[in-house]
Amino acid sequence: MESPEEELAAAEKLIMRWDSTASEEARERMIFDGGDRDEAERYLRAVDEIQRSMESATVTDDAAAADADSAKVNGASAIQIAMARLEDEFRNILINQTNQIETDSLVDPNSSINSSSHHSRASSVEEFSVDQEFLKDKIEDQNSEDHPNREDISETSGSRTSSGSGSCSRSSAFRSMSSIREIELIPADAVHDLRSIAERMISAEYLRECVQVYGSVRKSAIDSSFRRLGVEKLSIGDIQRLNWEALETKIRRWIRAAKVCVRVLFASEKLLCEQIFEGLGKDSNGNNAEDVCFMETVKGPAIQLFNFAEAISISRRSPEKLFKILDLHDALLDLLPDVETVFESNLAETVRVQAAEIQTRLAEAVRGILSEFESAVQREPSKVPVPGGTVHPLTRYVMNYISLISDYKQTLVELIVSKPSMGMRYSNDPAAPEIEFPEIDNNLSPLAVHLIWIIVILQTNLDGKSKHYKDASLTHLFIMNNVHYIVQKIKGSPELREMIGDDYLRRLTGKFRHAATNYQRATWVRVLYCLRDEGLHVSGSFSSGVSKTALRERFKTFNSMFEDVHRTQASWLIPDPQLREELRISISEKVIPAYRSFLGRFRGHIESGRHPEMYIKYSVEDLEAAVLDFFEGYPASLHTRRRSQG
Amino acid sequence: MPATDYQGSSVPFTSLGRSILSLRREQIHSMEGQSEASSQELELEAFQRKVSDCFHELSASVVSNGDDLLSVAWTRRLLDAFISCQEDFRAILFNNRGHILRPPMDRIVGEFFERSVKALDVCNAIRDGLELIRQWKKHLEIVLTALDSNQRALGEGHFRRAKKALTDLTIGMLDEKDSGSVLQHRNRSFGRNNVGRDPRQLGHFRSLSWSVSRNWSAARQLQSIANNLTPPRGNEIMATNGLAVAVFTMNSILLFVMWALVAAIPCQDRGLHVHFSVPRQFTWAVPILLLHDRIMDESKKRERRNSNGLLKEIHQIEKCARHLTELADSVHFPLTEEREAEVRQGVHDLAQVCDALKVGLNPLERQVRDVFHRILRSRTEGLDSLNRGQGPD
Repeated sequence: MESPEEELAAAEKLIMRWDSTASEEARERMIFDGGDRDEAERYLRAVDEIQRSMESATVTDDAAAADADSAKVNGASAIQIAMARLEDEFRNILINQTNQIETDSLVDPNSSINSSSHHSRASSVEEFSVDQEFLKDKIEDQNSEDHPNREDISETSGSRTSSGSGSCSRSSAFRSMSSIREIELIPADAVHDLRSIAERMISAEYLRECVQVYGSVRKSAIDSSFRRLGVEKLSIGDIQRLNWEALETKIRRWIRAAKVCVRVLFASEKLLCEQIFEGLGKDSNGNNAEDVCFMETVKGPAIQLFNFAEAISISRRSPEKLFKILDLHDALLDLLPDVETVFESNLAETVRVQAAEIQTRLAEAVRGILSEFESAVQREPSKVPVPGGTVHPLTRYVMNYISLISDYKQTLVELIVSKPSMGMRYSNDPAAPEIEFPEIDNNLSPLAVHLIWIIVILQTNLDGKSKHYKDASLTHLFIMNNVHYIVQKIKGSPELREMIGDDYLRRLTGKFRHAATNYQRATWVRVLYCLRDEGLHVSGSFSSGVSKTALRERFKTFNSMFEDVHRTQASWLIPDPQLREELRISISEKVIPAYRSFLGRFRGHIESGRHPEMYIKYSVEDLEAAVLDFFEGYPASLHTRRRSQG
Repeated sequence: MPATDYQGSSVPFTSLGRSILSLRREQIHSMEGQSEASSQELELEAFQRKVSDCFHELSASVVSNGDDLLSVAWTRRLLDAFISCQEDFRAILFNNRGHILRPPMDRIVGEFFERSVKALDVCNAIRDGLELIRQWKKHLEIVLTALDSNQRALGEGHFRRAKKALTDLTIGMLDEKDSGSVLQHRNRSFGRNNVGRDPRQLGHFRSLSWSVSRNWSAARQLQSIANNLTPPRGNEIMATNGLAVAVFTMNSILLFVMWALVAAIPCQDRGLHVHFSVPRQFTWAVPILLLHDRIMDESKKRERRNSNGLLKEIHQIEKCARHLTELADSVHFPLTEEREAEVRQGVHDLAQVCDALKVGLNPLERQVRDVFHRILRSRTEGLDSLNRGQGPD
């Protein structure tokens, strides 16, 4: 049994032997490299011994005070050497024992099985597959240009799980992305060494040094993970300069990266800090060592990560951005509880606050974009009438837009809490047409009222556009086509139909039917007027009571009117086949019986005269066939028809 | 920031903003026979007065106490002034939202928002810079712990620990461009050739401090804020009921405050050469130009020329650290009483800087964030009303 003095001397000797300023050997070799566990244990014990001796050197009287001072000075010197040594050891373990995530395994789906390397770290293997999925999605990005939003909808509904190629680890990794899932960043035995060293450094009041070493190494590890995940450093200016397409891709990537960052990377960093530092002490401000180390490591990266979402949240609001911003909003909203958990300490308040602020701002952006969309729909200025009175591109755009809105109903119902400020917003321009909002069910959600409002604005705009047609019939046909399209779009989407409600849908249906009736009046009343009896009978004339001249005139007028209408309206377009068919039938039902009966009554009068073919140019069948040319969008003529039929 | 004579107008005035406004008022009065200034005109005049008062106060405190310039406390007062002016300006925009829809005001306000969004990146860069200062502070705290004045005797171990922290501080404070040369001279008592301490890695570590992209430059950002910033012409002032003057004023404050922040706080690619012309006829131009000149003078001083921030506390850190490093390099043990007193004094000075940072850094960071938010809010409101105002053609 050695005396305390001898033990202290031996401890000091050991520490001096490993003083890296003193010898080449000490500089080149590491104690905690796994080569000599016993030496590592001895070293830690030596440090403990010296600290104990310093604590016990208490002042009893003046003479002892001098001794104690000198013991403390000596001890401090040895401790300083030991701490410098431990700091280097600590750094060395951190750097060399960090589990490397091999980049190869990010690409080849099969290699993730092989890469379960030296330690049994199933969890980190699964992280590869997260990244695999990440790459897969990057490829999908390129293939799914047509329905980028649909793709994301299916993703949030959880159908991604089934898209994996069947490997167990992959599907569990998918699940892991919806909740926090730590991976082992450093093997357990190395964590044990780190904790042993941290314990000595903290009890010797070297916490600050320990935090610095820890932070600098882990920060750089996170930085390389960031680079692999594609988390970029972009200033707000950079993001404003990018075109929206490029940003859409970046947003999609960011959403995936952010999930990995918060739920895997940051959560694992937090766990590691806890494993190494928990219970070892507090800094001078009373913060736990593990919290201090965690924030030292992740504050910068977290700010960098959220800067992107923040920059997006303040970008200019334009309608095309709505759905990607909703995706971003939903992703962040979904992440917030985990951000709260991972960044729970007081020190991390700024991160929590920033993430919540961005979510709020994204919600504001969504509201702003919706109202921006509404005013864009109202002031869409194109004046050139679409040929043939078909569905206007604006109608298609707006209706596709609002059916996408209905796909995001779940979020939007939460975000859109006030009804549109109808009329008021537009009243500052006296030239603007007064928009009347229909009386609707008070129980409709504000979102539904917005949707109806958008349709109302759209119709107002279309009414304006319809005035640019010179032919009143075409004006009605255009309205019929467009409102019919609106109705079909609503009926085609159960969500949309449910939100807008049958009440308003009936009103819209009424509107396009009304337009169809107006069309028929505008075109056919004149034509049918030729086939009336009035004016043909010569009063007092006994022979037949019919004026041949007037009759001939009637036939000629009818022929030319019908030819004219046929020529014009064949080139008009009703894109919906059923509507087209219905309207033709309705035309036939009016025109054919009238013509047949007219012909029946007066055919004899013409045929008994000269050149009857000049007046009765068309048979009933000719007309029936001619009606089939209507609204096909191709020019046609009755002459060619007759010739072609021989 | 040279003062320029106001061109494009021959109106003699002492205060451009005010006199233009009253000139307009006279015109309106003569035309419409009104006898009272409109509330809008009063509001605009009050804004000019407010800005002028704020900056006179800031420059007065610098004139009476030269040390005050760009201290943490002064910088916080500067941001207070900015926030206060910004809020008044926001109210002006709100109260005149009908006006800002009409040309040329829509363009003028649009350009202001373009500038203000550029300031947001400066705010973010400054936040990074404050974080960097906080890192330096951590090194200093190690020095303070090592040479704690409560210890009865200071030994070699204490000094070695302090020197190590001072070395780390020196490396941490190196500007990126001169890190290479100084690293060669650095004397590391405990250097070990492992990856973490590889000097080649240091640039990389420093780049971790910045959250902006690598090619981002504070100097260029300031230049782009300053680009085409010219006082409104007489006809613009007339056409906008004087609102153009308020926008120019706010633009100038924005540029000056961002410029001063970049001058004070470390950030990526600092540079203070920004063309900024303010006609001296604006009452607020005088104090702003004075402050500008003082800051430029400071940046040209030999001991500050290579500094990575003109913040007064940074200078104090540099001085304290240099002094303590010299002391630590020259001491012999046991310490003479004289030496020990010198060390205690050095530690005392250092503790004072640390305290100033401890008290000031967090509030300053919150203020920078507040500036960020307020610029943002005003911009969002403004863009919203600009968007809504575009009625149907």
